[in-house]
Amino acid sequence: MLQGALAGLAAGGLYAVLAVCLTLMSRLVRVVNFAQAATGMVGSYLAVWLVVHTGLPEWAATLGGILLGAGLSAGLGWIVCTWLAETDTGTRSAVTAAVLLLLISLSFILFGNKPQPFRPVLAGPAFQVGGVVVSQVTVATVGLAVLVALACRLLLGRTAVGVRLRALSERPTTAELLGIPAKPLSIAVWAGTGLVATLAISVVAPSQSNDPTSLAMLVVPASAAALLGGFRRLDLAVGGGLVLGVVEGAVAQSDHLSLVRYFLPLLFIVALLLWSQRKEVWDAAR
Amino acid sequence: MNTLRVNGVTVARGAGPVIRDVSLELVPGRITALVGPNGAGKTSLLEAISGVLPIASGSVHIGPHDLTRQSRVGRFRRGLAHIEQGRAVFGGLTVLENLRLTARTGEQVDQVLALFPELAKRADSPAALLSGGEQQMVVLARAFAANPAFLLIDEMSLGLAPVVFTRLLPVVSRFAAEGAAILLVEQFTHLALGIAQDAVVVSSGRVTHQGPAPDLLASPATLHTAYLGESR
Repeated sequence: MLQGALAGLAAGGLYAVLAVCLTLMSRLVRVVNFAQAATGMVGSYLAVWLVVHTGLPEWAATLGGILLGAGLSAGLGWIVCTWLAETDTGTRSAVTAAVLLLLISLSFILFGNKPQPFRPVLAGPAFQVGGVVVSQVTVATVGLAVLVALACRLLLGRTAVGVRLRALSERPTTAELLGIPAKPLSIAVWAGTGLVATLAISVVAPSQSNDPTSLAMLVVPASAAALLGGFRRLDLAVGGGLVLGVVEGAVAQSDHLSLVRYFLPLLFIVALLLWSQRKEVWDAAR
Repeated sequence: MNTLRVNGVTVARGAGPVIRDVSLELVPGRITALVGPNGAGKTSLLEAISGVLPIASGSVHIGPHDLTRQSRVGRFRRGLAHIEQGRAVFGGLTVLENLRLTARTGEQVDQVLALFPELAKRADSPAALLSGGEQQMVVLARAFAANPAFLLIDEMSLGLAPVVFTRLLPVVSRFAAEGAAILLVEQFTHLALGIAQDAVVVSSGRVTHQGPAPDLLASPATLHTAYLGESR
């Protein structure tokens, strides 16, 4: 059970990284980015394609894939900032759901519907805890999640750019009237989250189901984790991702419960939504 | 000396035009009171000047520079600031963070805090926790810290006790005296006309009177006629 839980920590780290990205997107540019994992999937697929078809060194291909993920995300951000700048969160998020489907279809056309021959960026054990092996991938993803969350906290709280981003997220029109360049800053957030998501997916993809749908749908457990923090708190988003991964890993060890793990994120989301609405009066909640 | 010129501006909002063929000029060192009944189009005119609303026809210039197609950020960089209706503070930011958004130096922050000593005591408080009057002070101080040449102020008194509002008016006058051109939209017509040098009355989206503010203040009949939409 402990081995399973620790194995699940690698996936949990990935959920946590993606949850941090989703939380940042929601807080700073008012979008629930359903295409967050899909852009990472396309970027990591490109890396594999570059290695297989061009013979590029793995590090260079991975770097190219990460840059493509960031570029794709920035491109989507440019579209949203240019044509949907004054629309509400629901409309902007709906656009990203359409992009999610588009990217899954595109990856089927470009790369086929089979898992890709990923070569591990990281492999092997990092250390042991009580005889249980903790892999390098687990350490990398959990470390990346914590690092990104801390870096974002510092950026938003301690730097002039962070203060501008917070102002922009609160009152975009007022921020622009004060000379804060909304579009470049927003696109930078899109690009940054795209970069981090692609990096995390590139690290984890070799060690888990890596067909296009599985990778793109990582946004579901990531959303569950982000929901724990109300799409506002980075620490709870990280915690939620790790807990979800550990529970999934532990459940996978049981023959009777292993199928349940696929539904855990959805159960998590339903439970959180019900919990968050527990004190709502019917008329007010509608 | 640059002026801000609004030339024959028409603004459409929803079904049709809310501002029709409005022209006015803001001159450095002077306050222009823009008054009129509710729904006359005062806020829409300010929003068109600062770029919140698109201009259907006409133009806005600062000196030789045409701002009509410029972004909001571009207009701000030309020296135009707009204080929106309803105490537009960034509630999650502290008072200091609000001010540092526009101030280039610590000295500028100190200067605006000297205008509002109440704020200095609450510099590290989130702006959302301030009283309505203090929040309006933050908004004014933030605009002053940018040192704009042209300042549009929309309904500064909204939701404030009159005693608080009358505390703010002299600060606005002083800022104009230091060289800024101010366009002041205000529901308290007499208070606005009392500190302004120029007056513009709009009714149903059209300018119905333009002239010296003291003259309009001294002639209630003229003001009444202009409010009813009859040009003189």
